[in-house]
Amino acid sequence: MSHTQLESMRSDYEGCSRCSCCKWIPHAQIMSWRYAKSCPSVDRYNFHAYSASGKLNMALSIIDKRSQLNDAVASVIYRCQLCGACQVSCQNYRDDIDHCDSFHVMRSTCVQEGFVLPEHLEIIESMKREDNTMGMPKAQRSDWAAGLDIPDINTQKVDVLFHAGCRYSYDEGLLDTVRKWATFLKKAGINIGIAGRDEACCGGRAYEIGYQGEMKKYADDMASRVKASGAHTLVTPCSDCYYTFKYLYPKNSLGLTVKVLHTTELTDGLLRQGIIRLKSSEPMMVTYHDPCHLGRRGESYKSGWSGDVKLMRPVQFKQTGREGIFDEPRNLIKAVGGVELREMERIREYSWCCGAGGGVLEAEPDFAVWTARDRIDEAMATGAEAIVTACPWCEHLFAEAIKEMGVTMKVLDVVDLLDMGLGGE
Amino acid sequence: MLPENVYKELEDILGAENVTQEPAILDSYAWQPALNLLKDAWVPRPEAVVLPQTTAEVQAIVQLCNRAGIKCKAFSTGWASYSACGSEGVIQIDLRRMNRIIEIDEKNMIAVIEPYVCGSQLQAECMKRGLNCHIIGAGPNCSPLASLTSGWGYGWTGLYTSYSNRNPLAVEWVLPNGELLQMGSLGSGCGWINGDGPGPSLRGVMRGWGGAQGGLGVFTKCAVKLYPWPGEEGAPKGMRGMMLDLDMETPKLHKLYYIYSPSYAMYAEFAHRIANSEIGYIHCKLTTGGFMSVLMPRAIKKIMKSKAIRAAAKALQHCTSIALACHSEREFVYQEEVLRKIVEETDSFIFDWSKLAPRLHDTLLWLFHRSIPPAMIFRVGGNFLTSFGANEMYDMCVLGCEAGEQLKRPYIDKGIFIEDTGDNTWGGIYEGSSGWGHIEECAMYDLRTSRNPEARFDYLDETVKVVQEKTLGFSLASVGGDSYKYLGPLMYNYHLWQSKIKSAFDPNYASDASFYIPPYEEVVKIMEQEDKGRMFGATRSES
Amino acid sequence: MAKYPELENIFGSERVETGKRALSEFAHDQSFVAGKTPCCVVKPKDTEEILALVRLANEQRLSLIPCSSKPPRFRADTVPSVANAVMVDLSGMDRIVRIDARAKVAMIEPGVTFDQLQNAAHAQGLRVVMPLLPRKTKSVLGAYLEREPNTIPKYHWDMSDPLCCIEIVFGAGEIFRTGSAAGPGTLEQQWASKQAQKSPMGPNQTDFLKLVHGSQGTMGIVSWSTVKLELNPTVQESYLVGMASLDELLGFTYAIVKSRYTDEVLILNKLDLACLYAQSPSEITKLAGKLPEWILMYSIAGYRDLPEKRVQYLKLDIQDQAAKMGIDPVQNLASVSAVRVAELLTHASQDPYWKLRLKGACEDIFFITTLDRSPEFVAAVNEEARRAGPDAFQIGVYIQPIQQGRNVHMEFNLMYPSDDAATVKKVKALHKALSKRCMDMGGFFNRPYGPWADMVYKRCPDTVSALNKVKSIFDPNRVMNPGKLCYE
Repeated sequence: MSHTQLESMRSDYEGCSRCSCCKWIPHAQIMSWRYAKSCPSVDRYNFHAYSASGKLNMALSIIDKRSQLNDAVASVIYRCQLCGACQVSCQNYRDDIDHCDSFHVMRSTCVQEGFVLPEHLEIIESMKREDNTMGMPKAQRSDWAAGLDIPDINTQKVDVLFHAGCRYSYDEGLLDTVRKWATFLKKAGINIGIAGRDEACCGGRAYEIGYQGEMKKYADDMASRVKASGAHTLVTPCSDCYYTFKYLYPKNSLGLTVKVLHTTELTDGLLRQGIIRLKSSEPMMVTYHDPCHLGRRGESYKSGWSGDVKLMRPVQFKQTGREGIFDEPRNLIKAVGGVELREMERIREYSWCCGAGGGVLEAEPDFAVWTARDRIDEAMATGAEAIVTACPWCEHLFAEAIKEMGVTMKVLDVVDLLDMGLGGE
Repeated sequence: MLPENVYKELEDILGAENVTQEPAILDSYAWQPALNLLKDAWVPRPEAVVLPQTTAEVQAIVQLCNRAGIKCKAFSTGWASYSACGSEGVIQIDLRRMNRIIEIDEKNMIAVIEPYVCGSQLQAECMKRGLNCHIIGAGPNCSPLASLTSGWGYGWTGLYTSYSNRNPLAVEWVLPNGELLQMGSLGSGCGWINGDGPGPSLRGVMRGWGGAQGGLGVFTKCAVKLYPWPGEEGAPKGMRGMMLDLDMETPKLHKLYYIYSPSYAMYAEFAHRIANSEIGYIHCKLTTGGFMSVLMPRAIKKIMKSKAIRAAAKALQHCTSIALACHSEREFVYQEEVLRKIVEETDSFIFDWSKLAPRLHDTLLWLFHRSIPPAMIFRVGGNFLTSFGANEMYDMCVLGCEAGEQLKRPYIDKGIFIEDTGDNTWGGIYEGSSGWGHIEECAMYDLRTSRNPEARFDYLDETVKVVQEKTLGFSLASVGGDSYKYLGPLMYNYHLWQSKIKSAFDPNYASDASFYIPPYEEVVKIMEQEDKGRMFGATRSES
Repeated sequence: MAKYPELENIFGSERVETGKRALSEFAHDQSFVAGKTPCCVVKPKDTEEILALVRLANEQRLSLIPCSSKPPRFRADTVPSVANAVMVDLSGMDRIVRIDARAKVAMIEPGVTFDQLQNAAHAQGLRVVMPLLPRKTKSVLGAYLEREPNTIPKYHWDMSDPLCCIEIVFGAGEIFRTGSAAGPGTLEQQWASKQAQKSPMGPNQTDFLKLVHGSQGTMGIVSWSTVKLELNPTVQESYLVGMASLDELLGFTYAIVKSRYTDEVLILNKLDLACLYAQSPSEITKLAGKLPEWILMYSIAGYRDLPEKRVQYLKLDIQDQAAKMGIDPVQNLASVSAVRVAELLTHASQDPYWKLRLKGACEDIFFITTLDRSPEFVAAVNEEARRAGPDAFQIGVYIQPIQQGRNVHMEFNLMYPSDDAATVKKVKALHKALSKRCMDMGGFFNRPYGPWADMVYKRCPDTVSALNKVKSIFDPNRVMNPGKLCYE
């Protein structure tokens, strides 16, 4: 079978020198034996094939006709959160391998050749049926906003379109968080609106699990909705959606014409402009978890270069992950008096993944929780009483991991601290 | 495919999830482009890959291989083709699950580690305790155990932390026949403190200047020497940023300088004086050409068209990076004064990074300590090879620099190697006052775009010849592999003794010896052949 | 008629000795080990003769016992375990072949002694890294091959230091050169390209030196070696620290050794210090009576670059460290001058050999451990000695940091009068009991001389198996020093 799509990334596969740096956080940053690793896949399953390098090696093996794509190989490819830590580490040393793009191509090839996971198929069917990844009725999409009196863009124009995202829209455990975000922004004087039950999935999850074509529909839908709202800014509290809008859409020439911000980004702006002021809360020691899709994967897609020889690609077009959102959530945390931020060892561009991404939460829940448990261990090692983050997927999975571990640690969103800092007002 | 009963037995030993013979997964162990001196980029695919977690499991695997007549090869962090299987039909023993630091004895400066502890991990734990470890030039992603027992072993801090061969203490070793050997004090029930004896030291069997590269069984634990990390602060604090934009608090009494000498003779004299003065923590030749290529891989070719820039690069090629790391302010004042005195007396000039670019100073210092820059050589083309680099007095090593530059130039001009001004040397003096060291000459290339990648083997052949003609020692290119066929008879038949060791310790030839040496009878037959094949560039079937 | 015509063909009749006196000199040494009488003593003068001898030994199954030092000898490694062995007396091969002052390397034959080499080194501004007052007749090569610890731990990077390369005739009858001496290229070619046979590793993937090191002559006969020299200090200060208990010295010793501040550094009990400092038994006894129980001695030095400043900063830094620990380094302790001790350490022992001065005889027990465990061993030895009952023997203690402080060589010197049969018997029994006790406590007897061999190798059958494989390669016909170590 010809693998034209796989073949397109041959140069990336052949570039791998097999140094295994993709398995570790950048070596300059390693401060302990315990928190040195960066790749949940190889850490869990151990065969080199599970690492970024290993997946590139397998792809090369397939296009060199030394082996074939089959269920076992597909399983390796799917057991990956696409967190991008490997790319950050590798690109410390070199410029010519785009790991996540390579993995997207591998997944797309798996889907095209019929190597699909039933759990992923369920996600796609849910999206087709109900415009969300959660298997929930579309009609209930905006139930989370009941009683908040947030303008509906179907009836009025707004400045800022608030896109909740699938998980926030339907996860009861996160209802409080999304409501707080919307309320907070409204109270801060932002003219936000929501699409109500017309809000649909961003399509990013579909892309990541190999159904690249599916994302286009949702991207087109999103673009129309944004246009119809009159908004100049699209804001979302969901890191996955943020990444989809900032990276996947433009990469696939589906860019939105408006500014895209994460809620922490927008709020940090308000803080710096003095529009919001935060007071002190009860003393609390917290640590912050950088969501992959807000941090390193939240870096905008760098368009403007094309070519076959990536060695000649200028550095400014390299997706190093450094231009993601790292400081804004931290600024907000530190602005709340009484809250002490203790950093973990694996932070920022080299943060350890929560475990939820890339379809792993749905298809390999044990692996997802295993990954989250490692992060909770790391959070507890700081002495913090709460792990704070800015992504519904991280929050959901951390809560699950903490329950399984039987430990005491709170899971908070940044907005929970903001809420404390406003005195609940 | 392995015989069914063998595969089943492996599953019984390890659990099904720790054994595989899925071709694509096996191929992730067969892609080994780094330092690959075969014609094919793919190296032989293992027959299966297994993941033991304990020494007992390793023994069981090796014993099974002996019974079943199958070869096996140990593999840990596994960078460079030496770690891969050298022929078909070999079981790769991936030691990734053996990844613990067993103990750190702070007072006596000893650590005990398993194979999959990487250099960064060990160094990080050491620095919490005011200690350091030897990290090899290949980088902190490599296994110290692998380097100390089985590899080469130069490192930036060799002036203070020696060379891999000199760093192991007691070792736990699964021999090729599956028996367990506890070497040194460990075997006598005296802990991990010493690797030599009783009587003769079996460290001599384990490795020489180079290690056996998996050809003599599996090393499952190793005690390693640790070294002082002067100062109260431990590892640098408050680290932010990545690579060249790192921001951190470097320990106060640590400082990095670049020293530019007017000639190789003065460069060597500077090193000689540093050794005699017993100052310093890092001493390493810096390659102006290599550094420029790594920092500007896209621009280097254009830039080097300028004669003026080439002349400037040449003038600056006799460069030493030297770092001080002192226990006290007084020691620092003394060492810096001596350093500046030696600089002046060798007609060199000193580039004090801490004054000129403090942030870059801190970054470079930390990157050198953690041995990060060498991996950047892959940035330029994805591949490199190395030669010269014999271990002897530094005055001799420097002669290799000049020879290497001349030899490499035509290959760069022909587009076989990537432009690096001809000077891509690396290495320093080791062990304080000893004054011996090494300087290797690297050459970068890109298999994807090189006009004639196989010409690199001609270059290596030439380097070995030049090293011989000019009596520049036993080069890096000659360790392991097929060089013994030509060099052995010139060097007291070391190859025959080594092959006898192989036969004695591996009677069933169960350890893949592709990067070590075959058993004695086989070597004798090979040496009787008129055409022994070339030293480099064999195909897999020839290798 | 020649008694051993083939040997005389090789050496000439004047260098093949068969006289009773000459033979009996080699049949025993100062240890408790009773040896067998050799058949003759041969005195090679070069490698070719050694090669011819070893090949002859293989043909005729002779037993060869190499010996580099003139008597008195102590370790039993050169005492024949089999009858009619051929003693290979290398003490006459005593050339200092070459000193490369820039590389700080000397190439020496086996018969070169410490004072001989030290004087030559001093003439070039260099020095030998010394063991603790070796006897005058001690071979430098013999000492280093047998891992005698040296007194400057900062230069002790590995157990084979300061040995670099050797030329050896293996028991199999082949010449070999180790390390960078193996080439490629002749020695002259190597010297021309500025090599100095200084790298001890290899060649290639075997460390042949390590297989010979500690082998008690069971692998072959070494015809020359290169050894590291160091710069002779131009400025030096020496200090003593006296304490009632050994524990009180440990922290300070760890600190100064770890920082590589010191040159010589060692710990002695008062008896050992008195023995090496004073001459007669009465002087020794008097001095020992005045000294504290334990004495640490160390030196600091400056070399060629700003030597005074070096010594100054070292002194002040060490003073700071000492003050923190309540330690008081002095230059004179009782009537012992640290400077004088330092001088003594740079040379071989004056006669009588310091260990023999008190009682006339001495038997050592030594092993490797870590500094923090040294008090345990001292306590155990004292307990065993008390159990043996009061007697005419006394025990000196010498603790030498090695491998830059990671280990110590721990040595107990049982000094006794050899003319008292009852005491000799008691000391012999005590030696055995102490050896066993220290072994049981985890002391690593890495140099298994005489009766230690059986005791040590019983504990490590895996090492025995491996060593026998090595022996079968390098001395397949077992001609070299049979009966030593663990060979079948």
